[in-house]
Amino acid sequence: MPAIIKITFREALGRKVVLISLILAAAFLGLYGTGVHFVAGDLARHPNPMLAQMIYPQLLSFGLYFGGFIVSFLAIFSAVGAISSEIESGIIQTIIPKPVRRDEIVLGKFLGTGLFLALYAALFFTVIYLLIHLKTGMELTGQWKALALFALQPVVLLAVTLCGSTVLPTIANGVVMFMLYAVSIIGGMVEQIGWLINNATLQQTGILASLIMPVDALYRKIVHLLMNPAANPLQALQQMGPFGSMSEPSVWMVVYAVLYVIFFAGMAVYLFGKRDI
Amino acid sequence: MDLAIETINLTKHYGNKVGCADICLRVPRGQIFGFLGSNGAGKSTLVKTLMGLLFPTSGEAWLLGKPLGDIGVRRKIGFLPENFRYHDWLTCRQLLDFHASLYGMSNDEKKRRIPQVIKQVGLSGHERQKIRTYSKGMQQRAGLACALLPDPDLLFLDEPTSALDPLGRRDVREILVELRAGGKTIFLNSHLLSEVEMICDTVAFIRQGTVIRQGTLDELRSAEINVEMRLEGLTEQIRGALAGLTLSLYIEGDTVLANVSKDEDIPLLAEAVILGGGRLYELNRKRSSLEEMFISMAQEGTNNAGHH
Repeated sequence: MPAIIKITFREALGRKVVLISLILAAAFLGLYGTGVHFVAGDLARHPNPMLAQMIYPQLLSFGLYFGGFIVSFLAIFSAVGAISSEIESGIIQTIIPKPVRRDEIVLGKFLGTGLFLALYAALFFTVIYLLIHLKTGMELTGQWKALALFALQPVVLLAVTLCGSTVLPTIANGVVMFMLYAVSIIGGMVEQIGWLINNATLQQTGILASLIMPVDALYRKIVHLLMNPAANPLQALQQMGPFGSMSEPSVWMVVYAVLYVIFFAGMAVYLFGKRDI
Repeated sequence: MDLAIETINLTKHYGNKVGCADICLRVPRGQIFGFLGSNGAGKSTLVKTLMGLLFPTSGEAWLLGKPLGDIGVRRKIGFLPENFRYHDWLTCRQLLDFHASLYGMSNDEKKRRIPQVIKQVGLSGHERQKIRTYSKGMQQRAGLACALLPDPDLLFLDEPTSALDPLGRRDVREILVELRAGGKTIFLNSHLLSEVEMICDTVAFIRQGTVIRQGTLDELRSAEINVEMRLEGLTEQIRGALAGLTLSLYIEGDTVLANVSKDEDIPLLAEAVILGGGRLYELNRKRSSLEEMFISMAQEGTNNAGHH
């Protein structure tokens, strides 16, 4: 398995995925940092401090939401053809006959890609966190837990995308994964609206979407962790809007997300183990 | 007998379609074994099944004495697939390092073995180039190098010279002969019959998913008696008489190629021509080339399929 993990990592480097991802991250974070810099500068001079308390959390959640978006896209693109493209190209025919088990091939790819994505997400989160903390002086809580959940987001997508890659052609897998991701995003928004207008059906629809794909629920949990309601009486205002989190997902949703990863990684192993090449 | 490959009724179905059926092969160690058949006959299905890419529907197989699916024995098996594709963003050396890791080779083994195989396949001086910059022939050589890495006791080569020029083919033949001299077994899947004829000890023919003949080249040749006749006045009566005496019959202009099962049938062929009013100018008993055997067997298959 170490050979597969190494080659997966090396592939990300050799195919310039790492380089391009870092350049794009720098572009996004540069733009975001510029925005934060000027907003913080203006609000510092503003006579009403309440305005800053309302806008800074929005800036943070905006950064985390779109940062998560980029990381999630990278997760899908990295894993969409992890197995299927090697079957389509024939590369897999040179690997399976070697003295490695099929589960080692799948898990090696999962761990190699997962490690890369988790590190990338952690870097992304750290820069956003530091930008907000240093520029706005905003006091944030639970940053380590939030960082871990931010890094878990692409791993969730990776597990399900890798599983799809063992049975679906690359393009079909890409279509399915983006639709699943869209279900999660839209479900999260619907649930947020459901809490705003106190509509149980919308709330339950959101929860169902989170069960189908828990990425957005993780995001809402991150936002709650960072902006602890106990520490801020303006929490209700902070958590309004599409990028807020009116209702904190329970710890069981995090447990569910971890089990979700284990289940789909296991299914990927099982399905690839039975597949004729 | 110490067998490198043994299969008993190995069968692979794709749904209702037969990939290969009831394949029984016995390949002794230290031989070059040629596996022949038309396109779609089931050659690749068998190779893929033996290589663990396909799961057999039924039957059993052993490679180097170990049952199919044994992971450990794969340390001593090399494989060059027909549609070879490798990680083309790696250099040849990096590719070999990766495959050596898959074989579980230590760093010391890698240091010793990688330069050896690079030299063996004639890629010295090109090992730091990326695979994507290689010609098709060089890529095939790199693939062969990957297959040779563990100094395999059993080597599966699926059309190993398809992308090579005549010099490259000769190089590969020499490598294979050298490996055989070292006691290695080579399973060669090739359409280049002249090549197979030059180096193979035993061959098997597969048709419509089933092995129809297997043996040494001499055994197979002695089982085939081919007669070439040049004659004039070929009538339907003569054609009918000849067809009744032969296993297969091929007529082109004034030349008749007949395949009979025993020597005693040869004078009967001449008799059939003369009694039918034809004039026989020449009659030669011929030793079959592998190509002729291949065509004859492929035609038998076509005829049988036609009768069905």
